[in-house]
Amino acid sequence: MCFFSFLFCRGFVYDSRNNLQMRGLVVLLISKAAGPSTAELSFQHNMVSGIYSSQRSLAEITELIHTAFLVHRGIVNIGELKSCDGPLKDMQFGNKMAVLSGDFLLANACTSLAQLQNTKVVELISSAIGDLVQGIYYENSKSSEENCLTDDIGISTWKEQVFLSHSALLAKSCQAAMELAKHSAEIQDMAFQYGKHMSMSHKLHSDLQPFVKESSSDIMAFSLNCAPAVLHQEFLGRDAWIKQIREAQGKGNIMDYKKLQEAIKAGKGVTSAIDLCRCHGNRALAALESFPPSEARAALANIVYAVTRFS
Amino acid sequence: MALRWGWWWWRWRCGASARRAPPPPPLGSVPGPGSRPPPPALGGAMCHFPQRSSVLSFPKICNIFWRFHHTSTSQMCSCSKTVSDEKYQDPFQLGRKDLKNLYEDIKKELLVSTAELREMCEYYFDGKGKAFRPMIVVLMARACNIHHSNSREVQASQRSVAIIAEMIHTASLVHDDVIDDANSRRGKMTVNQIWGERKAVLAGDFILSAASLALARIGNTTIISVLTQVIEDLVRGEFLQLGSKENENERFAHYLEKTFKKTASLIANSCKAVSILGCPDPKVHEIAYQYGKNVGIAFQLIDDVLDFTSCADRLGKPAAADLKLGLATGPVLFACRQFPEMNAMIMRRFSKPGDVERARKYVLQSDGVQQTTYLAQRYCHEATREISKLRPSPEREALIQLTEMVLMRDK
Repeated sequence: MCFFSFLFCRGFVYDSRNNLQMRGLVVLLISKAAGPSTAELSFQHNMVSGIYSSQRSLAEITELIHTAFLVHRGIVNIGELKSCDGPLKDMQFGNKMAVLSGDFLLANACTSLAQLQNTKVVELISSAIGDLVQGIYYENSKSSEENCLTDDIGISTWKEQVFLSHSALLAKSCQAAMELAKHSAEIQDMAFQYGKHMSMSHKLHSDLQPFVKESSSDIMAFSLNCAPAVLHQEFLGRDAWIKQIREAQGKGNIMDYKKLQEAIKAGKGVTSAIDLCRCHGNRALAALESFPPSEARAALANIVYAVTRFS
Repeated sequence: MALRWGWWWWRWRCGASARRAPPPPPLGSVPGPGSRPPPPALGGAMCHFPQRSSVLSFPKICNIFWRFHHTSTSQMCSCSKTVSDEKYQDPFQLGRKDLKNLYEDIKKELLVSTAELREMCEYYFDGKGKAFRPMIVVLMARACNIHHSNSREVQASQRSVAIIAEMIHTASLVHDDVIDDANSRRGKMTVNQIWGERKAVLAGDFILSAASLALARIGNTTIISVLTQVIEDLVRGEFLQLGSKENENERFAHYLEKTFKKTASLIANSCKAVSILGCPDPKVHEIAYQYGKNVGIAFQLIDDVLDFTSCADRLGKPAAADLKLGLATGPVLFACRQFPEMNAMIMRRFSKPGDVERARKYVLQSDGVQQTTYLAQRYCHEATREISKLRPSPEREALIQLTEMVLMRDK
């Protein structure tokens, strides 16, 4: 289990795409860390390696839902296609397959959820899906606006939106895993807090990569709505930030990311993003304190260390 | 007296129809949930129904004459007060009160902070749809409640099922429009046409999640299982539609299975769900399920017929849409028996230029439309036969009346 978590943590750090892989593994770890149900002794039946079969199923469901939305995110707007994008028919077919595959995964998730025979879990996960949709919706809205390259949002709004798109699913799945084992409301809340804060840290860690990496040869493009940029705007004020963006855009409207990166690094955005990342990391660790010490709990702590490390 | 009248009428019709009996439809291929239907013998003898008049079924005739002769003092049925004149209970009228706030309640489930997302999700819940499914659900709920305990009240959970059914249906419509690249529905532009495909798919997902949430809140794990089956069937039905079969017999079974999964499953399972909530008797659950299944299949068959016979304005969406999508529906499959040259067109999904027009002509020249309509009638009869097993009530009559409406509709 320890080796497993080491590999997992390594994957966390080196995975440049903003993807929390293996959400399912986190659900399994927290299930194991929480231990057997204190409610009923008869519960022990379906336990294998310290995890109930229902919790295992929930871990799969979480992955199914995450994957379904990865697929649905890939759908293109037919009206925005240009001739250089290729034949229209191919895109339409691709869209069709994407919708169907995503729906198929979601339907499977729903069916497995129903089989858990627990209405509270269905409620939690359904609301998580709703959160995920809203979060992705915000992501979409940002990228499709023409004139406005960056939103005028403060960090608190940013956190709300990122919670929806990146944290809600994992946080609620962790809570649901506790509910399946009939753990107390406090334990359920702690599991939720772990899931929430750990995934926030992960997102912040991922956003910070272009700004903390030593290599100067690779110019990593970054979203203008990433955490350091949002914080930078908050410190600098919107007008000054827009001015910096225009300066970096230059004549051909091509963004000079290197220049913009320097501008952000010169300000306070990066350091306060790192602070925020560590803050969330600490809250995740604090939530873990409620669980008895175990290998699984240590693995979960290791994950937090991995996503708060910047050297 | 009324019964004797009914019997005479039935004999006369039987005699009349025997002289010009159309070939029996392949009703042996009515699919059960999850079971593979046997390949139908088109025009053959695999028929579960006794050879009956094609026009009106026995219980129905019985009903007409019984009501005609019935007086208000009879104790036979609780619905005496409401049918003292000959007019049928309009199902829409009966269900109207329960459904009055349906769309408002659905909108409450779709409360979301982003104005545009909410607008997209609410787009089809404007009250202009037929509300056919919620109405069946509400009427079935009442009919089952009366059957069990003589109470006409619709429980809150049963009403939730009606809302959930409509939401699941709408979510699937939104996704179907993206899949089919449709640009109009119900007389207006589709969601994907206005807001783009990406947002349309998200809106569909959101409606589905809201439906799932409402389902969980009912707090009944059996109901969750029953209605979740619908979600799976809808997707599988869509996949079935993608594939095609070489063999003519297999094609029809495939078509009926797809029809069940895409259309009838929702109605059948919602009826079953409200019957479970209203009555503990498993026989009643089965009656409700069978009614829903048969009405659902009939509904889709008529829909497929209308695609050929109606014009775009009436339908609210473009006609001959199925052919353009490469789909071989009932009328086409029947027409293929008379015009074997259609086989090749079916296999290539009408992709060659001129295929759609040619196929359309063949269908209209053949008896495809009539055969499909006849098949729909048989499913309606079966639905009526099932629902008649429940205790009499205005709602039960309305559900019977509804089968007629399914056959008569033009949009």
